[in-house]
Amino acid sequence: MADQSLTIAPVFSLGPLDITSTVVTSWVITLALAVCGWLLSRRLKLDPGPLQTAAEGVVLTIERAVAEVAPQHARQLLPFVGSLWIFLVIANLAGLVPGFHSPTRDLSATAALALLVFLSTHWFGIRVRGFRGYLKHYLSPSPILLPFNLISEITRTVALAIRLFGNMMSLEMAALLILVVAGFLAPVPILMLHIVEALVQAYIFGMLALIYVAGGIQSQH
Amino acid sequence: MELNWSTFILEVINFLVLVWVLKRFFYRPVMQVIAQRRAEIEKTMTDARALEEKAEHLREQYEGRISAWREERQQARDALSRELETERARRLDALKQELGQAREKLRATEENRQAVATRAMESAALEQGARFATHLLEQAAGPELESRLIDLFTTQLSQLPPEKLESIHRQQANATPAVTVLSAYPLNEQTQEHLTDHLARISGSDKPPEFRVDPDLVAGIRVTLGAWTLAANVQDELKGFTEFHSDV
Repeated sequence: MADQSLTIAPVFSLGPLDITSTVVTSWVITLALAVCGWLLSRRLKLDPGPLQTAAEGVVLTIERAVAEVAPQHARQLLPFVGSLWIFLVIANLAGLVPGFHSPTRDLSATAALALLVFLSTHWFGIRVRGFRGYLKHYLSPSPILLPFNLISEITRTVALAIRLFGNMMSLEMAALLILVVAGFLAPVPILMLHIVEALVQAYIFGMLALIYVAGGIQSQH
Repeated sequence: MELNWSTFILEVINFLVLVWVLKRFFYRPVMQVIAQRRAEIEKTMTDARALEEKAEHLREQYEGRISAWREERQQARDALSRELETERARRLDALKQELGQAREKLRATEENRQAVATRAMESAALEQGARFATHLLEQAAGPELESRLIDLFTTQLSQLPPEKLESIHRQQANATPAVTVLSAYPLNEQTQEHLTDHLARISGSDKPPEFRVDPDLVAGIRVTLGAWTLAANVQDELKGFTEFHSDV
């Protein structure tokens, strides 16, 4: 059971790269989203149908959430933060599908996403404020805080990765333990909790990423 | 819980691909459609505002026209009222005038009718009076009445005004007329002499008058002196009475 829960075994190897179930699931999610997005983009109309209305609702909701944090850069941050939310919601819920594991139960996946958030913070900060202007924010409000700011950059990224990984991994493990111990119907409430927890964790990760990126852009204010 | 670098790198690449794919096939088209719809909505709102402004302008124009029309209608109504008042006053005056003329005409007609009736009544009264007087005098006439009438005649002859006597004398000077004395009853000698004296004094002629009897005189005498006729008898008086009635 420990092997099933904590160890992600390679499914196959592609040269020097080990392809794990996490990667396969991520590819499936990416492919599914790409196909859905491509199909949806071919059928967009000014008079929307139910699917288009739902898609527009998702986009507008994400844009509004981003705009509340970074109103002047909502369009710029929308693709990254929106992709994070959409991917994490689907990835977190993927564990509910029989035969799949949630990619976010793998520390490598969450660390990759946390690294992208870390890099995005600097990328958007430098694009908006310039290199020198962005680096200056590490010295504010006082140069004394520079080490703390640098440590904070690293620790919050690590915390971002560990938080999501720990929650999703423990959630799946708890569900598996209850399924083993209590039988067939007892895990149903846990599955409901799984859904809520998956949505909450996706929201927390995306919102923290948004706050970090927006902080890198707007800390001068 | 170890970190698999292959998974780590592939997840990074996978997520970057996902971001690109979603940006290319999801966010951008959806945002474009939303922007187009917002533009359409904005255009519709702009058109609606333009239409609203136009409608407001038309409404104000319509209200202005309504107001002007009401004012014009009120003016027309006032003018019509004035015309009606003027026409009514004119017709009332004309009617009053016509009524006055009709009343005057009626009054004149009534007066004329009353005058005619009065004349008819007077004529009838005079005629009856004449008949009654004739009848009464015919019953009451006699030598005594004739004698009194002759006395009255002679008294009036003596009282003739001088200018009238002068006129009679001038006429008698040109031609000596015959003097005729008609009486209802035969006159006695004394009366004839008395009359002859008086007539001679008036006519200035010595020729004796011719005495004749005419019972139609009822009582009294009638003297014919050329163109002059002097009468003091019942017949002539009644005739005069009747002629007076005819003149009236």
